[in-house]
Amino acid sequence: MKASFFLRSALGVLIAAFAVLTFYAVRYAIDDDEHARYTRDLKRWQTLDTGLDEAVLKARSGLLTQYDPVVGAVSELRRLERSLRRIPRFLPAKGTAALAARLDASSGALANKEGLIESFKTENSVVQTSLHYFPLLATSLVDRVHNDPAAPELTARLQALVSAVMLFEVSPEAAPRVVSASADVREHQTVAVKLGRGRDLDVALAHARIIVERKPAVDSLVQQILGVPTTKRAALVQESYSALHRAAVDAELARKQWLFALALAVVVLGLTEVILGVRRSAQALEKVTLELYRANDALAVEHEKERQLGELRTRFVAMTSHEFRTPLTAIVSSAELLQSFGGHWDAERRVEHLARIRLAAGTMQRMLEDVLVIGRAEAGVLRASPSPIRLDEFCKRLVETLEHSSKQSHAIHYTFLGDPDVTLDERLLQHVLGNLLGNAIKYSAPGSDVRFDVRTSGEECQFAVKDAGIGIPAADLPRLFMSFSRASNTEHVAGTGLGLAVVKKALDVQHGSIRVESELGRGTAFFVTIPRRLTNIDTTLT
Amino acid sequence: MLFRPRPRAFAVRATLLGAALALLGCKRPTAAPEPPEPDPFETTTDQPIEPLPLELDVQPGKVALGERLFGEPLLSGDGKVKCSDCHLESHALADERPRSAVAGRPESPVNSPTMYNVRYLYKLGWSGRFDSLETHNDALMTNPNVMASTWRGAAERLARKPDYAERFRAVFPDGLTPENVRAALIEYERSLVTPNAPFDRYLRGDQSAIAADAKRGYALFKSYGCASCHQGKAVGGNMLQRVGVMRDYFTDRGGVKPPDFGRYNLTKLERDRFVFRVPSLRNVALTAPYFHDGSAPTLENAVTVMARYQLGRELEPGDAGLLAAFLRTLTGEYRGKAP
Repeated sequence: MKASFFLRSALGVLIAAFAVLTFYAVRYAIDDDEHARYTRDLKRWQTLDTGLDEAVLKARSGLLTQYDPVVGAVSELRRLERSLRRIPRFLPAKGTAALAARLDASSGALANKEGLIESFKTENSVVQTSLHYFPLLATSLVDRVHNDPAAPELTARLQALVSAVMLFEVSPEAAPRVVSASADVREHQTVAVKLGRGRDLDVALAHARIIVERKPAVDSLVQQILGVPTTKRAALVQESYSALHRAAVDAELARKQWLFALALAVVVLGLTEVILGVRRSAQALEKVTLELYRANDALAVEHEKERQLGELRTRFVAMTSHEFRTPLTAIVSSAELLQSFGGHWDAERRVEHLARIRLAAGTMQRMLEDVLVIGRAEAGVLRASPSPIRLDEFCKRLVETLEHSSKQSHAIHYTFLGDPDVTLDERLLQHVLGNLLGNAIKYSAPGSDVRFDVRTSGEECQFAVKDAGIGIPAADLPRLFMSFSRASNTEHVAGTGLGLAVVKKALDVQHGSIRVESELGRGTAFFVTIPRRLTNIDTTLT
Repeated sequence: MLFRPRPRAFAVRATLLGAALALLGCKRPTAAPEPPEPDPFETTTDQPIEPLPLELDVQPGKVALGERLFGEPLLSGDGKVKCSDCHLESHALADERPRSAVAGRPESPVNSPTMYNVRYLYKLGWSGRFDSLETHNDALMTNPNVMASTWRGAAERLARKPDYAERFRAVFPDGLTPENVRAALIEYERSLVTPNAPFDRYLRGDQSAIAADAKRGYALFKSYGCASCHQGKAVGGNMLQRVGVMRDYFTDRGGVKPPDFGRYNLTKLERDRFVFRVPSLRNVALTAPYFHDGSAPTLENAVTVMARYQLGRELEPGDAGLLAAFLRTLTGEYRGKAP
């Protein structure tokens, strides 16, 4: 159950981790379309930017007939700029700020470039017109005036100005030459006015001035336009994006590997849990079956006990009634005889019958006492009531009583050793020793010896009762202390089968123990041990 | 015992889930094909002027709705001014008056130019203040001297008219919204293209599309230097230029007024003083008077002034007529006929 709890917790944690990872995997999943858009836009940005620079250079050289390509490229770049600002969501959040900053820088460069291009177009259109028109105007002026004898100087100066402007077109260092050539031409203005070409000369000089003054501005604008780091900034954007994309790809790969590992772990753990669950179920079933069997067995044992108890009771009642009937019959018959013939009998005969009655009544009294002891013991209400006694005197008295009641048929060899002061239940001790000594006398031939050795040592009292009697068959030993159980060789001896049962019950209550050694036909020895100082123990609880 | 079957079901489900997810992770989406991009550096001719494209990428439903809005006074804050009050349908969506005058509004500081081919203008407004139709429309809408309105207000006023909500729903999934009012209007403006002018047909190779004097006019247009500014698809509109490059136009005209400062009013840079967006010459024959101040009543007058002040030239006798003959071939077709 513990392993299963661990498994299930681990499974739960894994699935939670899987869910979290899945969320990130979906949130930061690389959108190939978005990536394609972004890389396409970046590439196109660079293509357009380069094309724009080329177009500007062409326009500066008068090779571009219109600015639509320029403004088209700028518009397209602005559109791309807006597109690039939509940063793909799958990029790692940490790096997008840097990318946005580089986009800002790139946009700034583009805005700067756009402003310069705006000025460039304005200025370049004028300069291109002048570059185109000035030579035409100047040469047509030369054509108009060169035949006039008054204007050879003017013609030469005009031609010098045209060459100066043409030189200036390819070499900006020629600017002073244009300025001085213009001044030379202006010196001859009156000639041109005289010839009706004053206005044309003014226009030609104005164009020359535009060329010399504005062309450097246009060239400077071109240099500035080419110097705007749009390409470099775009490369930085691309660099940032590529790094972020690589990081995103790596992260996605890592996430996929983790997801796969987690899924594998979930599968393995899940399968383990399933297998363990199946096994657990089997084990549980087995256990329950076993418990059922055990309960069944216990019930059978209980049932057997009940049955034995019932049997015991039946036997007890049968035996009791039988054992009681024998002395009762003796009493009844002697009493009837005394009643009917007592008057005729002599004193001796009457005394004989009265003695018989007394003996039978005594037997019944002892039997009743035994039955009561067993009954009380079985009901659990037999208790030891210890009191200080002198054990040697108690035993001596007991021996004398028994010798007396057996009419001296046996000699009891009694010995006592040790401290005689003990604390014991006198009545229970009487039951134990009386029965054992009585049995020794009863089951041995008259005249044979009975030994009764008593010894106190330390905390124990030890009693040994030995006879040289008929002995007990080994087969009967296990049932020796059971009520109404009698050995198979005792049929010819009167007895109730209660004596040793009483001994055992009385010893149990006194925390004593009994051991038996017996040899069939040779004799029996009982060894009893009782604690010397019995405290008043509530045996109902033991 | 009661609790037992559940953890196992949980484990079974977890196992299946894990397996399914592991498989799911292996799916790889395919990249979308790259849409072709137009190349801005590609031109169809080696001439300074490009013919207008014959195909249009507009949505007719939105165009129709935008056209309606163009003539809808409810767009204005007081419900009195409509776009077509200044961009007259009868005058190629330009104003025949030098300055527009509408009830309840001060006279416009500059001449209202034509709306045709407005989508091909790189910058909008005489001073080139706006980069897109969106920003230009926003400005005109909120300008207290023009529409004095807002898109939200316009949308609310339109919603009170019975049929607008339905018309918007027909072309916009989200129906009548301030954004869609603007979108419809702009879609209409983007549809105002006049292709197939005789000169465009000539550029495309039809030598008989224009007469001999127009051809001579075109040659003059290039040789005088007009084409250095009036060029591209719109024959203008792709750059800014100073008015009076060679001579002082404003002094000769009789004084300078603030609107004449042009782009300077926007940037406050001295180099932008008198700088204006070069206007488109498409349909120029229909859009008199000319210039930002509407001071030139005829084409001949306009080309003469331009040559004088921008190019420093006095046109040879007859050249103004030839140039005008060329300019008249720039009149295209809108919906199959002259705009």
